[in-house]
Amino acid sequence: MDDFLAATEAAVSRWHGVTAPNEPARRMAADLAATIAAFTALRGTLAFEDEPASFEAALRATMEPSR
Amino acid sequence: MSAETATTDLATLSLAEAAAAVRTGAVTSRALLDACRANRARANPAVNATIWIDDPAAEAAAAAADAAVAAGAPLGPLHGVPMAHKDMYYQAGRPCSCGSLIRKDFVPTTTATALARLSAAGAYVWGGLNMAEFAQNPTGHNRHYGDCHNPWNLPFITGGSSSGSGAALAARFTYAALGSDTGGSIRLPAAACGVTGIKPTQTRVSRFGAMPLSFSLDNVGPLARTARDCALVLGAIAGHDPNDPTSADLPVPDYTAALTGDLRGVRIGLAETYFLDGADPDVVAAVERALEVLAGRGATISRIALPLMNAVSAYGGIISRVEAATIHAEWLRTRPGHYSTHLSGRMYPGLAIPGAYYIESLSRRGPILRAFAGEVFGQVDLIASPTIRTRLPTLAETDIDHGPPGTEERFLAVSANTRPFNYLGLPAISVPCGFDPNGLPIGLQLAGRPFAEARVLAAGDAYQRDTDWHARLPPVVAPPMPAAREATP
Repeated sequence: MDDFLAATEAAVSRWHGVTAPNEPARRMAADLAATIAAFTALRGTLAFEDEPASFEAALRATMEPSR
Repeated sequence: MSAETATTDLATLSLAEAAAAVRTGAVTSRALLDACRANRARANPAVNATIWIDDPAAEAAAAAADAAVAAGAPLGPLHGVPMAHKDMYYQAGRPCSCGSLIRKDFVPTTTATALARLSAAGAYVWGGLNMAEFAQNPTGHNRHYGDCHNPWNLPFITGGSSSGSGAALAARFTYAALGSDTGGSIRLPAAACGVTGIKPTQTRVSRFGAMPLSFSLDNVGPLARTARDCALVLGAIAGHDPNDPTSADLPVPDYTAALTGDLRGVRIGLAETYFLDGADPDVVAAVERALEVLAGRGATISRIALPLMNAVSAYGGIISRVEAATIHAEWLRTRPGHYSTHLSGRMYPGLAIPGAYYIESLSRRGPILRAFAGEVFGQVDLIASPTIRTRLPTLAETDIDHGPPGTEERFLAVSANTRPFNYLGLPAISVPCGFDPNGLPIGLQLAGRPFAEARVLAAGDAYQRDTDWHARLPPVVAPPMPAAREATP
């Protein structure tokens, strides 16, 4: 078992009391490395002004103007 | 015409036609119910689209509906129409499996607002439809109730997670069905089964009484034969609900009034970025032909590069995995063996994702929507794409528990084109636009601005005025071909 998977399993067990239920769970947990890579690849690429984080407000703000 | 043919022909009516026929007294609600039953008897042994059926309750509801017509009582727009829904909408006192073993004997004490509103419009429930376990796969696999099979070609997937909704509509044993859409679960089965389905704008429809999968991404919406039928159902269920404080407090327009067939002035952009990556040429060709049809209705067609797709994909995946794992954490601790292998396996990693990732994904959602909408909707009104960019795979090719190498990639590819609109919260419809070489339907996806359901539905309706893909019958219910005559010399 590689270090990343072992650390992931230990963290889930410690924080949630859940053990990997089967081999696919371990395989997909190991794939979190790709999730981290996709996430970290975004760092520095998105420059937004500070603005309200409300998604609901954004939905209304981007509605079609009344015709 | 035989009695059986006459009965099943009623099941080929659209929802709009069926509802109008009951209201005018041209047919009875009981006759509609019997037509649906006849088609279920023919098709369901092959497609496995239902989890439960309540004939006595449906017969009583039909009788009451017919009595109301006879008495000249006020009638709702869906009066007397039998429907079956994805088995995750709670009805007080009635079992609701959520497609799972864990909730096999679950009996809710509340009724979903969407069901209550359909009931207020005059429709009634006669069954619960098959679905992915806890609405968590895009294929239609279900270990506990049996896999759902595509009515057009049985070894192939129906799409999911509202698998039974798509299959039952295609096989003509319901006039409409509620689905739910967290990553494509309305649009995928609509596309794969050759029917129509719309995911509304996030917050447009109350989620009260609907089994949660992802608090942030879940949507309630209809599948039906046509865009007009979807407009009827959406008009009945949309709108603010005090029981769901996240539902938008905005007026609900008359969606059917927007269905004029006129698309002059509507700008449609075929999404080139991301949505066509690795797409099947036959699928792309069908979508391009569909856009020509829409151009014939007055729409302006272009191609558009969509921004921020890497962020949309990464952040959306974080949210759905963390929220599903959170909802299921207790059962993952105490009843892990009661999930199918692939489901517990997929949910488990969500518990390892840091809270900071999750919060960042949520907090970026509004700014990303603003940036996306600002750039895209200045150029087009609707974004077009294939609903599923590949040819449909078989159930065997996407069986994560037993499939060959590459199964997970094929499994995830099914929903690649639908997931982005869940993170962005945009309304999106899937309408049938052709068939692939395996005889399986192809779907055209059209997405619009927030709360632009009327425009999305109008485009789908305009397309269906000039095409008949939505009216075709799959082999499981198509009338038998006449016996071939021997050639005469």
